[in-house]
Amino acid sequence: MRKSLMMMLSLIFMAGALVAGCGKSNNAAEPVNTGTNGGNAPQGSKAEPFELKMRHIEIGEPNKNRLARLEAVKNKTEEQVPGLTIKLDGVDSEVNRKDKLRSEMAAGNPPDIFDAFGSPDIGVYAKEGLVLDIGPILDELNLRDRFINLDPWTYDGKIYGLPKGGSIEGYFYNKEYFAAKGLEVPKTLAELEALAEKVKADGKVPFAQGSKDAWVPLMTTNNLWSYYAGADFTAGFKTGESKWNDPKMVEAVSKHQEWVKKGYFKKGELGIDYNSQRNQLLTEEAVMMYDGSWASSVFNDAVDADGKSKFGFFVMPPLNEGDGFSSMVDSNNGYGFSAKVADDPQKLEAVKAFIKNFFSDEVQLQSLKEDGLLPSMILSEGDLQANAANDLIKEIILRMNELEYKWPAFDALVQAEVNTELSSGIHRVIEGVQDPQAMLDAVQKVQDEANAAGQ
Amino acid sequence: MNKAMRSPLMYALFLIPTFVGIVLFFIYPVANAAFYSFTDWNGIAKTYNFTGLANYTKSMSQNAFWVSVKNNGFFILFSVFIQVPLIILFSLLIANVKKLKGLYKTAVFMPSVMSTAVIGILWGFIYEPDIGLFNHVLGLFGIDKVYWLSDRNWAMISILITNAWQWTGFYIVMVLAAIISIPKELDEAAMIDGATGFQRAMRITMPLIMPIVSVVIMLSIAGAMKAADIIIVMTKGGPAGSTEVMATYMLKHSITSFKYGYGNSIAVLIFIFTLIITALYQVLVVRRTERIEY
Repeated sequence: MRKSLMMMLSLIFMAGALVAGCGKSNNAAEPVNTGTNGGNAPQGSKAEPFELKMRHIEIGEPNKNRLARLEAVKNKTEEQVPGLTIKLDGVDSEVNRKDKLRSEMAAGNPPDIFDAFGSPDIGVYAKEGLVLDIGPILDELNLRDRFINLDPWTYDGKIYGLPKGGSIEGYFYNKEYFAAKGLEVPKTLAELEALAEKVKADGKVPFAQGSKDAWVPLMTTNNLWSYYAGADFTAGFKTGESKWNDPKMVEAVSKHQEWVKKGYFKKGELGIDYNSQRNQLLTEEAVMMYDGSWASSVFNDAVDADGKSKFGFFVMPPLNEGDGFSSMVDSNNGYGFSAKVADDPQKLEAVKAFIKNFFSDEVQLQSLKEDGLLPSMILSEGDLQANAANDLIKEIILRMNELEYKWPAFDALVQAEVNTELSSGIHRVIEGVQDPQAMLDAVQKVQDEANAAGQ
Repeated sequence: MNKAMRSPLMYALFLIPTFVGIVLFFIYPVANAAFYSFTDWNGIAKTYNFTGLANYTKSMSQNAFWVSVKNNGFFILFSVFIQVPLIILFSLLIANVKKLKGLYKTAVFMPSVMSTAVIGILWGFIYEPDIGLFNHVLGLFGIDKVYWLSDRNWAMISILITNAWQWTGFYIVMVLAAIISIPKELDEAAMIDGATGFQRAMRITMPLIMPIVSVVIMLSIAGAMKAADIIIVMTKGGPAGSTEVMATYMLKHSITSFKYGYGNSIAVLIFIFTLIITALYQVLVVRRTERIEY
């Protein structure tokens, strides 16, 4: 009797454990038709509560305006979609892109909405059916033709994400310092170097830079090689037409290394992170900083006695005067959506409402006004002028209009492992333990392998 | 009841949950990693090709991989020859204090319960070249700034110090427990015979705590082989890969570069290296350590 009782209890325990482990949650909501315009629940029915997980990168003080806008969109979307709770998950941009999101994709379980980079990331995910084709939603909301450029978000003719805004890269500089020292915005690379020498002689750091993450110094290198080798050169790496160890590339990377050796950047830059580099400019330790226009909100706040920003913006000048200005211009950062959303009508409706609310003229103009984030959507010239609220943003728009050559950032054009090798290589060059030729030979080797593998 | 407990079937039933756990959480992941290490899987695609030993031969030919192996070696050497002696020293000192022993134990244990991210940021301030504590102290002696985390000559040692600070307290508590469990009579008898404090520590306490010190060394070696988080927070493997260890090298290639197959070959190598080192330690040291019975 006792033996059978023990056996019975053991079996119950085992069965209980198995049922608990393998059981399927019954919390999944039944499909509820919530209408087509992001929000109207059917009359007389009460929607089941459900949650949408949203990964964003708007963390820290510099992104406070962006987060506020996102939270406003979140609240509006929650009001429109019955039962919806959007759970925001803020993660550092680099960690999200290079580590967290990729591991979630590998596990086949990305957040419902996530901050993403278009090319090449979204294409890799789309190829495996992990991201939502939002073409039908764009058609339904009449948004398909509203974006300036969706190429980075397009794979096999379908659209898998939307850019938050556009951006260009260039130098933020201390206007007050320039005025006090009688310095002028350079028209050639030689003038930029002469300017850096004057700043250095004055005991200040010419270029603020925090190179702990390699993409930060690579912004400068990318612009240099686009001048030395040409604006279209980067697009040829993947096809084999361009070579990393081309003499022009060596010249460009050598120029970067020369600037390091001449002390144009703060010593120990490899230990300084991206956010800290801005402090070098804000505290007037440095005079110029190469960064994307997305950083402008930080410098809008630093105003002088007249209430105007004391910082200006110019793009890296060409080798020869009149050769035409060249800069990275892209709309590669935005939001993607998990393919699993398509399996849940409630979530699909919520995503639709989010897209409608976030990718709107209102948010785009607010982004321009508050953060100097250039629009990714087509807006009227009048609206643009009216919302370019301060001189710094107006200056950025002016500089963008002056560009003769526009190109996507290198990491949108080359394979991930090439980027990894290049990132490691630029650190070695900055540290001075490898010369540019050897570094670029190593990158070309990885490029050849990636091309041969058909990636 | 007794009859039931004598039934082999009953034992089998109780063993099944554990066995399932081991298969699910240990054997399967290891076998899975070994399987994918022979493929070119990108970690996301539904398809992959078998590439034989290509991932292994590639890793062996990469200078960056061997730098990471060397750095794991530094972790082990620092743990065994610097951290462990300090652990023993501090344990002996704390064991002999008469007052506030609990306070000391809590104080040294505190870093072990703190998140690595917090510790990384905290020590980042200490190592900061312009306003950091270390350079401030050096400045008092007229010594030039040291770029602790951005100079390859100092970055690794800076991380090792931080890592040691984080985990020393944890091991001190273990060694302290061993010291406290030594019967007082042994120490008292030696004291009556005229042995000094140093002699008692070296001739009585040390031999008697050797089994736990062996465990501490073993855990330190295992910890050194899987170190990654502190490096990611403090240097991200930089400058120029000089603080990369095998685990961060693996992460960089498997996830960041979409080379999951290659990353898995590194994971398997970490497993094999750890197995070899711990087995060697077991054979050469642990088996020769006398078993202590009071």
